[in-house]
Amino acid sequence: MSDSHASASGHVAEENKFQIYVRIAMLLAVITGIEIAVIGLPFTKWLLVGTLVILSAVKFLYVIFYFMHLRWDKAFCTILFFIGLVIAGATMWALLKLFGVPESIPLTVSLNALAGATGLA
Amino acid sequence: MDVTAKSHFTTHGESAPAKSYVFWRPTAKTGLISWLTTVDHKRIGFLYGLFALFFFLVGGSEALMIRLQLMVPNNNLLTAVQYNTMFTMHGTTMIFLAVMPLGAAFFNIIMPLQIGARDVAFPRLNAFSLWTFAAGAIIVNIGWFLPDGPPITSWVGYAPLTSKLYNPNHSTDFWILGLQLLGVASIAAALNFIVTIINLRAPGMTMMRLPVFTWMTLVTSFLIILSFPAITIALVEVMMDRQFGTNFFEVSNGGMPILWQHLFWIFGHPEVYILILPAMGIISEILPTFSRKPLFGYPIVVFSGACIGFLGFTVWSHHMFTTGMGTVATAAFSLATMAIAVPTGVKIFNWIGTLWGGHLKMRTPMMFALGFIWMFMIGGFSGVMHAAAPADAQQQDSYFVIAHFHYVLIGGSIFALLAGIHYWFPLVIGRQVSDFWGKLSFWVIFVGFNVTFFPMHFLGLNGMPRRTFTYDGNMGWNTANYIATIGALILGVGIGLYFAVMIYTFFKGEKANRDHWDGRTLEWSLPNPPPEYNYRVIPTIHARDAYWYEKHHREEIAQENAVHAQEDEAHGGIHMPYQSIYPLVASCGALLGGFGACYHTLVVALAGGLVLLSGIYLWAMEGAEGYHIHLDAEGRIVEDPHAKH
Amino acid sequence: MSSHAGTIDHHHDHTTTTGIPNKKLLMWAFLASDCMFFGALISTHLIYRLHPPPGTPSPREVFDIPLTSFSTFILLMSSLMMALAVNAIQKGNLKSMRFSLLTTVFFGAIFLGCQVFEFTNFVNEKHLTITNSILGTTFFTLTGTHGTHVAIGVLWLIMMYVRSFKPADPAAHPFWFFRNLLHVAMVIGLVLSAMFTVLAVVHTVQTGGTAAAFASQHFLIVAALVATLVGTVILASPRGAVQFSEANAIDVESMGLYWHFVDIVWIVIFTAVYLLEYL
Repeated sequence: MSDSHASASGHVAEENKFQIYVRIAMLLAVITGIEIAVIGLPFTKWLLVGTLVILSAVKFLYVIFYFMHLRWDKAFCTILFFIGLVIAGATMWALLKLFGVPESIPLTVSLNALAGATGLA
Repeated sequence: MDVTAKSHFTTHGESAPAKSYVFWRPTAKTGLISWLTTVDHKRIGFLYGLFALFFFLVGGSEALMIRLQLMVPNNNLLTAVQYNTMFTMHGTTMIFLAVMPLGAAFFNIIMPLQIGARDVAFPRLNAFSLWTFAAGAIIVNIGWFLPDGPPITSWVGYAPLTSKLYNPNHSTDFWILGLQLLGVASIAAALNFIVTIINLRAPGMTMMRLPVFTWMTLVTSFLIILSFPAITIALVEVMMDRQFGTNFFEVSNGGMPILWQHLFWIFGHPEVYILILPAMGIISEILPTFSRKPLFGYPIVVFSGACIGFLGFTVWSHHMFTTGMGTVATAAFSLATMAIAVPTGVKIFNWIGTLWGGHLKMRTPMMFALGFIWMFMIGGFSGVMHAAAPADAQQQDSYFVIAHFHYVLIGGSIFALLAGIHYWFPLVIGRQVSDFWGKLSFWVIFVGFNVTFFPMHFLGLNGMPRRTFTYDGNMGWNTANYIATIGALILGVGIGLYFAVMIYTFFKGEKANRDHWDGRTLEWSLPNPPPEYNYRVIPTIHARDAYWYEKHHREEIAQENAVHAQEDEAHGGIHMPYQSIYPLVASCGALLGGFGACYHTLVVALAGGLVLLSGIYLWAMEGAEGYHIHLDAEGRIVEDPHAKH
Repeated sequence: MSSHAGTIDHHHDHTTTTGIPNKKLLMWAFLASDCMFFGALISTHLIYRLHPPPGTPSPREVFDIPLTSFSTFILLMSSLMMALAVNAIQKGNLKSMRFSLLTTVFFGAIFLGCQVFEFTNFVNEKHLTITNSILGTTFFTLTGTHGTHVAIGVLWLIMMYVRSFKPADPAAHPFWFFRNLLHVAMVIGLVLSAMFTVLAVVHTVQTGGTAAAFASQHFLIVAALVATLVGTVILASPRGAVQFSEANAIDVESMGLYWHFVDIVWIVIFTAVYLLEYL
């Protein structure tokens, strides 16, 4: 049973895993380089932010699915991790929205901006 | 799954390790050492239970002090500072040192039995959780014995009250570090339970055949591992503000104290579901047993539990409706809070459906369970009233909130836990509790509880604020407070009676027969108390309410067991894990390190860290070794002749 | 040992209900929890970047993107070496695993050294401390916590490396445990003295010193480096069969999951904390 499992899912990948890992590492390095280059590009902020987020997400996914082996493991491991990831991400999003609304701006900032705008202080 | 095979993934030695000084494996089965080095989930659960019941009495005493102070207006039984200590410690003790460990006790003792396992997935990690819990309990309470005093900033510890400016002495540090250790213990235990429930189920035990209590253990464990990190970070931030002068909550340098509230409640709201879901699980076992019917709508009950768990992460700011978050945020959280009432209500209907048409046996566990349904519903009603943000604007920080959460926590969690103790007592301890005295204690508790907390709804609606040590005589609050205190004294008598009954029964109670209540789930198939190895033969599961199936298909099961018993012997017998001292060593290191951090003494903190690291390293190096036992026809252990002692 | 495909199916444990090895499941559940942990810390930093109070230093004036990019690249390479270490032991190739583990340690140590350099630079030259602004507080706490996770990982890697030398017959090597402890201390000493040596070299170059000056000023560090290097090589010499093989791959794999997770957290931090400031 263990032999057939190995040959079914892993054997072909097994021999190439070394090469797969090295290629992915090179890809990750290249993407990192692209990210650094991106921040100098003269595009609008949201486009650049979006690009950086996507590039980071690509690196993230390559590491978890290949280096961390999720691609070849039982789906439950992926589900388990994504539960934590999604809840963390959603909580972060909610927090940033909560602190982003005008009511949440600290007075030290809003009053200062007001003072600056009206020429006081 | 091949339960009898040896895993490739564990490095069990073929024989017992040579006796060495460093890697001595304790073998005592009785006495103090056996308890300090135990890795048996039943013993660990029992210790959790003992600690929890002790702290339940401590927390109850703190509550009585509060009620005595508030019995009459302008009372001077307690000073304002002493009063602050009382409500801080009452809340912290009841939540973290009483209800949670009592839940842990049930998870530990009952869950592995319900899934047909011999122990949890990581027995030494289980022991580490227990001893680290004890370390946290010590740090939280050590202030009682030291000049700085115990924590005083309420169980929610809002910034900037917890800053060095407002609370310069070490009492707040005890609270912070104590909670950190308790968090570590809880997370470790929860990880263990998740792996156990997912991976150690007996053959045929599919997820949809799990007892509901085990399902709730799983959902609660997920809540623990996903919510505790938020408070861990919040506590790290406040500790760094206090000890290193950082600015997380320091307004003058850009900090925002409201961030503490968010991070705390991102933990705090799932925490209350951590407190109630195990209780719901216990009720979901008791009602079918005492209605002589299967649970009504099992898949819906399970799914609702999972929904409650998930939605619990989306409602935290309903504790902050009055902090000025803005209309959109307030509306969103209000909506989410109302939504979470739905799966909760669904469960209640399913419990009623379980009772409906059943042949009801009104024993003590059933009384507590019925009390649960009614009292928890009342708490749910006041909760839904809080969900309406405009109404909450009046209710926030008033006695209405106190009424709400005591209805769900005492009427809900505590009733269910007290029910569970009665229910599983005959199995775990092997004695039966007198039904008369049990029911009497129930009624005194029920009356005392309602007399204490029902008036608080009115106190809250009439404007009495919480966390204030006294009140003036002309506010219109005198009568209700007086009645509430009388109720608290009655409740105290009821709890005392309950404890007296339990202690008496533990030592002198009549021996209980096996399967005392004609139960439905696997744990009832075992001798009482269960043997160290739990199951002679790992059962094969054919249906939900696995033991009920077994009882009605005895021939089939007997044949299966005979085959499996032979397979077990062929594989070398039943594998048992060795006991170990290192989880305790690691916990002692955590305790020492925690103290060092409280007093901001690097040397002590580092020493503690070193002991912790050594404990973990030796734990890793000694390996997950074990020994084999063989059983005779009566299930008595015949020692493996190759095992060394 | 030749790199033949292993005799164990490393993807499937038939003693568990799901087939997932218990340790692997435990580690994935822990990582789900750690997502929330770092999520809360990263959230704190990002929240405080939404409306920085007046007087907050500007990250653009403080950060050194070339240095941080270098350390990001280093951490990615360490992740590769970790994956190769797991791959090696799954095939029973002990020598290759040990080499890959040491390289992972090497890269991890370089990352830590870069962090130390960055922190001291920010404090001394850029005047950003953990107490003097909210940016300093959140930045140092977040990256410091991540660095602590890396340091724990490096320690774990060293212990795993040394564990692979445990003799198969402990009776024949009665003091194997003490040798084991010495070995761990030796490798830790090697890593630390290498880091200090590099810092000393950088310092000498920056202050325009000569090789002779370097040798006399930093003699102790270089001596420590040489001594620990020799000690590590001696302690790594083969002494018979060891109790470490394919069956232990699950432990290396679990450790690998932790190490990769620390890497992906850094991927998020590099983007959210460093790169986003430049937009």
